[in-house]
Amino acid sequence: MNENLFASFAAPSMMGLPIVVLIVMFPSILFPTPSRLINNRLISIQQWLIQLTSKQMLAIHNQKGRTWALMLMSLILFIGSTNLLGLLPHSFTPTTQLSMNLGMAIPLWAGTVITGFRYKTKASLAHFLPQGTPLPLIPMLVIIETISLFIQPMALAVRLTANITAGHLLIHLIGGATLALINISATTAFITFIILILLTILEFAVALIQAYVFTLLVSLYLHDNT
Amino acid sequence: SDGAPGPGHWDADAAAGGLVDLAVPGGAFSGRRAPCLKNPVLGPGVLQAIRIFHTRQPSLAPIPCVPEYGGKVCLGLIPKEFFQFLYPKTGVRGPYVLGTGLILYSLSKEIYVITAETFSAISTIGLLIYVVKKYGASIGEFADKLSEQKIAQLEEVKQASIQQIQDAIDTEKSQQALVQKRHYLFDVQRNNIAMALELTYRERLHRVYREVKNRLDYHISVQNMMRRKEQEHMINWVEKHVVQSISAQQEKETIAKCIAGLKLLAKKAPSQPVL
Repeated sequence: MNENLFASFAAPSMMGLPIVVLIVMFPSILFPTPSRLINNRLISIQQWLIQLTSKQMLAIHNQKGRTWALMLMSLILFIGSTNLLGLLPHSFTPTTQLSMNLGMAIPLWAGTVITGFRYKTKASLAHFLPQGTPLPLIPMLVIIETISLFIQPMALAVRLTANITAGHLLIHLIGGATLALINISATTAFITFIILILLTILEFAVALIQAYVFTLLVSLYLHDNT
Repeated sequence: SDGAPGPGHWDADAAAGGLVDLAVPGGAFSGRRAPCLKNPVLGPGVLQAIRIFHTRQPSLAPIPCVPEYGGKVCLGLIPKEFFQFLYPKTGVRGPYVLGTGLILYSLSKEIYVITAETFSAISTIGLLIYVVKKYGASIGEFADKLSEQKIAQLEEVKQASIQQIQDAIDTEKSQQALVQKRHYLFDVQRNNIAMALELTYRERLHRVYREVKNRLDYHISVQNMMRRKEQEHMINWVEKHVVQSISAQQEKETIAKCIAGLKLLAKKAPSQPVL
């Protein structure tokens, strides 16, 4: 191992030029625009998936919440595709960078909160105090609810970053373990390789689940505030 | 539904309209139509934000048809044209030898280093190949079924419309045929009326005849009765006078004559056999 464990998480640059922008924009190529009534198989499946997901995700929202449909669907597609592409060997996953996840989470969360405060000020303020709290607990509970509100964007960003980064790190480590064990004992190396395969399957699932969770939580914050 | 022609047709009006827009100084969206775009800082952003998504086909030129099958590939990555390209010089096994040589060269010269990532690559790519080989065909069929459902839906609408129009045509034709055959109805009605008229006429004629006959019969029977009465009266008168005219003496003489005659006959009778 001539590189440290975190080399794969460094912002990629080629000959001094930051190509991270190109990498972030790359997944959009994989979603072609449907230009005809009947498209090829890729577009048909993508259309079907988007229809399925959007129907399920926007069912709970009212008219105002459904104006966010494009935003939410773009979000889940972007996070899902970048996570899945990051599982390929030697690839860079933008969602492992906390900066990017914060850049996604804070504006979206702030958007939902400001929408809530603009259109339903009293209801938004009422969220700070759950129903049925005994009188002496009110000041403390308001403080706790405020903290819980402001932690939402942090939690969104850090959850995504930590999950994806942890997964990639584990794959790296177990791959390294396999590599190191090959010279020592082939059987153990084989068992470790099996573990690696299982982990890869898990990571595929985690990639999709994290995208879903992120979008779902934004959708829930939106639902609270519209 | 918005009147745009299908793929493969030029929409000359829209193309001309678009070009006219470009001819106006200031580009496609000049100030007279979108004053918000005059702002040089925010203009381009607004332009992108108000671009409409997916309302009609994106290009007005005829677009080529979607090919039915993708290009043929070997090992899922390398197009068959590459193998065809090398075939005249190296034969069938040429590209495989080239690939093996390149891989071994990069491994031996440590251009490609075997690290932890190698094993994760093996596991990821191996998993992907397994999934594609096992479920690839069924996913393809599923996608084809989605397209087929879409087409079937539209086809159903088209067929329903055609059927509706066909039914209307058939109804119209049958109505026209009915109009042709209307004269039968009128003939029957005319015949009925004629028969009814005839019947009434004959009935009345018969009644007239009967009435007249009744009157004439009455007169005849009156005459007959008169004549019979006259006859009877005359006979009675004659008889009465005859009886009156017979005196007593004449009566006695007549009776004596009859007895004498009878005696004569009685003398002649026994000489003849009884029959």
